[in-house]
Amino acid sequence: MKRIVMAAAGLATSFALPALAEDIKVGLMLPYSGTYASLGNDIEAGFRLGLDTYGADTGVTFDILTEDTEAKPPVALGKAKKLILQDRVDVLSGIVSSGVLGAMRDLIHGSEVPLIVANAGNDEATGEACSPWITRLSFSNGQVNRPMGTWLHEQGVGKVYTLAPDYAAGRQMIDAFTASFTDAGGEIVGQQFTPFGKTQDFGPYLAKAQASGADAVYVFYAGGEAISFVKQYDSFGLKADLPLYGAGFLTSPLYVNAEGPAAEGVIAALHYVPTIENDANAAFTTAFMAETGRLPSEYSVQGYDAARALVEAVKSGATDRASLGAALRKVSFDGPRGKLSIDPVTNNLIQPIYVYETVAGDDGLTQKVLATLPASADPANGCELAPVSN
Amino acid sequence: MTSDLGFWTLQALNALQLSMLLFLLSIGLTVIFGLMHFVNLAHGSLYAVGAYAGAAAAAVGGFWMGLFVAPVAVAGMGVLLYSGLIKRMRRSGPMAQVLVTFGLIFVLLDLTRIFWGDLPLAIEKPGFLSGRVALLGIEYPAYRLFVIALGLAIFTGLAWVLGQTQVGAMIRAGVDNDAMAACLGINVERLFFTVFCVGCALAGLAGVVAAPLLSVTPDMGLQILIPTLIVIVIGGLGSLKGAIAGSLIYGFVQTFGAVLAPQLASVLIYALLAAVLVIRPMGLFPAKG
Amino acid sequence: MFRHTPLRYIALALLAAGALFQAATAGYFGLEILIEILILAMLVLALDMVAGFGGMVSLCHGALMGVGAYAFATFGGILGLTPLVSLVGAIALTGATAWVIGAVCARSHGIYFIMATLAFGQMAYSYVFQTPFFGGDDGMGGIERLDLTALGIDLTDSRSFALFCLGVLGLVYLATVAVLRSGLGRSLTGVMHSEQRMRALGLTVWRVKADVFGLSGMIAGLAGALSAMHIMYISPGLLDWTVSGEALVVVILGGLGTLVGPMIGAVALVVLKHELSAITPYWHLVVGLLLIGVVMSRANGIFGWIEAQIGARLDKRLNDITRPQPTEEPRDA
Repeated sequence: MKRIVMAAAGLATSFALPALAEDIKVGLMLPYSGTYASLGNDIEAGFRLGLDTYGADTGVTFDILTEDTEAKPPVALGKAKKLILQDRVDVLSGIVSSGVLGAMRDLIHGSEVPLIVANAGNDEATGEACSPWITRLSFSNGQVNRPMGTWLHEQGVGKVYTLAPDYAAGRQMIDAFTASFTDAGGEIVGQQFTPFGKTQDFGPYLAKAQASGADAVYVFYAGGEAISFVKQYDSFGLKADLPLYGAGFLTSPLYVNAEGPAAEGVIAALHYVPTIENDANAAFTTAFMAETGRLPSEYSVQGYDAARALVEAVKSGATDRASLGAALRKVSFDGPRGKLSIDPVTNNLIQPIYVYETVAGDDGLTQKVLATLPASADPANGCELAPVSN
Repeated sequence: MTSDLGFWTLQALNALQLSMLLFLLSIGLTVIFGLMHFVNLAHGSLYAVGAYAGAAAAAVGGFWMGLFVAPVAVAGMGVLLYSGLIKRMRRSGPMAQVLVTFGLIFVLLDLTRIFWGDLPLAIEKPGFLSGRVALLGIEYPAYRLFVIALGLAIFTGLAWVLGQTQVGAMIRAGVDNDAMAACLGINVERLFFTVFCVGCALAGLAGVVAAPLLSVTPDMGLQILIPTLIVIVIGGLGSLKGAIAGSLIYGFVQTFGAVLAPQLASVLIYALLAAVLVIRPMGLFPAKG
Repeated sequence: MFRHTPLRYIALALLAAGALFQAATAGYFGLEILIEILILAMLVLALDMVAGFGGMVSLCHGALMGVGAYAFATFGGILGLTPLVSLVGAIALTGATAWVIGAVCARSHGIYFIMATLAFGQMAYSYVFQTPFFGGDDGMGGIERLDLTALGIDLTDSRSFALFCLGVLGLVYLATVAVLRSGLGRSLTGVMHSEQRMRALGLTVWRVKADVFGLSGMIAGLAGALSAMHIMYISPGLLDWTVSGEALVVVILGGLGTLVGPMIGAVALVVLKHELSAITPYWHLVVGLLLIGVVMSRANGIFGWIEAQIGARLDKRLNDITRPQPTEEPRDA
């Protein structure tokens, strides 16, 4: 029932009033239908909470126009043109799918509208296809997985079998892990990419992983596939002999309840879990719980921090596209994820990565943080942004 | 590749398990088509509704409650669909039917989202099926064996009903020639209604059985639809034999394709389907000569 | 066979006038919607040609459009050919692909034809999706529009591009009508009514089907290339079977076998989609209900309904004035 009420609330807010001249018009582009709808709703909840929390004392009214991208590049491009050319928004935010971000890149770059990316993690967006107008407040695929390769080897794991869906994000995640793991001296004994969105049964792949002689399995799966994978991994009884590691989306708080006990003991790396201990996170989780009745996920915090970054930019005196674009690149603050700053070379967020284990808690599953891996910048991959002028 | 016998036994069981799941889903679709010449593209959506209804019931009364409620609920939905839509669509061409049920996919997808939200749900396996069983020199998840057993039981049951009972004879007569069957005093309309509802119940059953293996998401119906269609078209529309043959072919091609030729796995099955249609345009075991 | 009735001329004139008005006055987003409609209209003309006049209900036209788009992008972006050569190449390649599909599926009928085309469409989708060369799931960018500066037209401007698409759609419409009126088109309709009879008359049935399917594929390929030029970015979602399903919805919504109707359907669906998605995230529900309603009403879509209501009367009156002999139109809707 709560979902219906939330949906109705989202519906009501999409009728935005026309903005006054001194207001900041924000175009929020998220998928509200299709597979990624739950991510879109979570990011929007975080974004609105962020604006309410930090934007109140700026004296500026933030006027949010939401558009459903359906996670389809052609649809999103049309909507982006509408927001940029017709609604004349000052800043864009959102974007869940990497495909959508890739499609929008040239439009954003050409029309010089700042975009705060609140999810899409494709490495190119802050690598070879970077733009001074695209600032990412979420994560990059490589960033989440790279530290894990080194860490896992330090834990004494020597041989790993990897699995991921066969699409760009899956490959980038696994490639980043593989590179750092083998650099550290580890060995990848087998690698498999499963058909994306079409794999019902992971049984065949799990049997191959089991027969590979690996010490552990490292995977990237998200959403519905993550749930199926974790459950099937457990049902074959592999967890005991062949521990499961992965990019933390695997046991995201958004999906972990559907995975149930099968998720217990899975160790994964992510840029945020709700159990990180710091004051900002305590305030954030309490406020988010009060608003939605559930714990925030990494998607909520991405929306929250995207809004926070926008507010910080406005506080530094930015008022229009150009000044917002410049100010966003200089944003830095302590948030629920710890200390965040923007890499001046690529415009990607620099943030710590948390290694966590899913464990049984008092009420349901919870995340136990095992290690905090220090923040490091992604390789620039040919991205050379002009230094930020002060 | 490994020469370990246990590995191949395991994969064969995986293939069998996938086949049985698809069989539960495709048998309803194919018999409905055989009898009524009606293509229900929304069959996958009924499977999703079954999974959701099962998850809702299981949250209250556990797995077995879900297993009971899902087929009943979806059969109830079948009653509504039949009297509201299907009955009036019987004389329309295949295209009109494809489109009405295509529309139904959208409607059911959004209805499940409105009722149950976008976040995935789950059904926990019952205690004694959550472990593993040692057989043929390997350990295999008990729940997967349960799926295989259930599929085989349903297959045997349907084979008996269709082959040995009077109702079965009536259905076979209807598949052969419904006008003639009506002349022989069979109440064809009631037969259609019953078969449609049983087909829906089986789709609901497939949904709730799949739920503990996969996850319950709004788009699960769309994801399973294409595999199910492939199964019944390869097997030949309208026959029990076709449904089981198609399911086994799909399950084994998919599983061993994933093991032996992972790069080709997703294209392989479509190529097979195209090949079957070129060589035997009506599938391997069509209901009518 | 396809025939123009006065009502169809009126509808065409209204559509053209509406499109011109929109192209002249619309804002940026209005132009985006107009272009989307024009490209979809091309695709559904291609589909109506095979489905409405040959009984070949295809569920792979979305994929064919995708093949056109990917071919155009590959020829231009990777092989470095000029947009004009890429366009011709894309049309030819899609046409050839469609010809093969049509030839292979020619023996299948009814639901088997639908499923067979679906299989080919999904095959193309899976292939593109998992091939890193085509950018996989993320798609491909860096697509150029046709350079018509020699003619004084700058296609990078949305308004010019909309007018260009409108012109192309006009040509496609004329070409479709010409094909349907040719010997090939007449044979096709004969095949639809009775394959046996046409075979007895000495016709190679599969050739007729394959040829028309190939021509239809060329139009779908053209629509795909234009869509790639429009978005300047393509992704595998273009080839998904739901796109083909949507095209079929448009054809039925507008009126199967009327050519004019599907174009009206394209306007209706795109406008409806944009209006509804602004109001509710559950707009699929409304579209689904509408579709069920239209099909259940047993009218031949929006335009078919109009034809049934006023068309017959109007035609008769106009025919009485212009021609002494009333023409009987052999149509089965």
